[in-house]
Amino acid sequence: MVRIKKKKNSGAEIPTGSMADIAFLLLLFFLVATVIDVDTGIGLTLPEYQETQTDVVPLSKDRLAAVLVNENGDVLINKEIIAIPQIKGYLTDRIRSKITLPSNKKLVVSVKVDRKTNYNLYIQTLDQVRGAFNEVREEYSATTYGTNKFEELNEEQLKDVREKIPIIISIAEPEQIK
Amino acid sequence: MKFEKKRASTKQEIPTSSMPDIVFMLLLFFMVTTTLREVDVMVQFKLPEAEAIEKIENKRLVSYIWVGNDERIQLNDNIIKLDDVQKLMYQKRVEMPNVIVSLRVDKNSNMGIVTDIQQELRKADARRINYSTMLKQ
Repeated sequence: MVRIKKKKNSGAEIPTGSMADIAFLLLLFFLVATVIDVDTGIGLTLPEYQETQTDVVPLSKDRLAAVLVNENGDVLINKEIIAIPQIKGYLTDRIRSKITLPSNKKLVVSVKVDRKTNYNLYIQTLDQVRGAFNEVREEYSATTYGTNKFEELNEEQLKDVREKIPIIISIAEPEQIK
Repeated sequence: MKFEKKRASTKQEIPTSSMPDIVFMLLLFFMVTTTLREVDVMVQFKLPEAEAIEKIENKRLVSYIWVGNDERIQLNDNIIKLDDVQKLMYQKRVEMPNVIVSLRVDKNSNMGIVTDIQQELRKADARRINYSTMLKQ
């Protein structure tokens, strides 16, 4: 009788030698497909929508810096005509003078534009306003805590800087839509 | 007399058995961090440039509105009318209560359309916005 030999199953393992290659291929795909572009921009919070214009207490002249930009890019701050790059210098003085005042006396910057104003001009204006606030914050931080880099401040110091110089920008209600 | 060369007793190969594990770990990292571009932008626009800008920390909260140089508005995958902004943004806000609306507006557009969109956003109560800008070089 012929004995039928059982075949020995010797190679019952999955070959893992090429696994690294496959993984590298996948890795390459994700490396290429990844977009690590951070979204940058100027953040704002819009005011709540109100059906009817409610009566509001007008801010005192001293607290308010009304920035008006017309369609030609002329800027009117408190009845003075200046150019967009001058906004920063004008505002820093006023913000600086209010550092020690209580929080209900800080400067409010109101930005108002025409419907035909160019969007780019509007962004430049907002940039100038934010730049002014940031500059005063940096100055304050440098004189109080010895550094003008916010990353080096701890939580409490950062909170203090934010409290002393809050960024209050108000986008004025457009006149044509009500 | 025969001299035998002295050989280091230790193995001289870099162990490669753990390489797949390392690679898989890297792979996982990239898989998790990748956000594949979900939408095709159908409008043409050029972002304005500014200096005092900030990063959006949480990208998953961001919802985009594009406005092209021909004043067309795109939200998600569609070109929409101004009147639809409120309804669509309200739905988004219900899904994500603290949604940040990133406005990617062409720099040569008028403020009129931006104001209109802002007005619609206020009605939809999606009030956290961000004007997308590039860093001025």
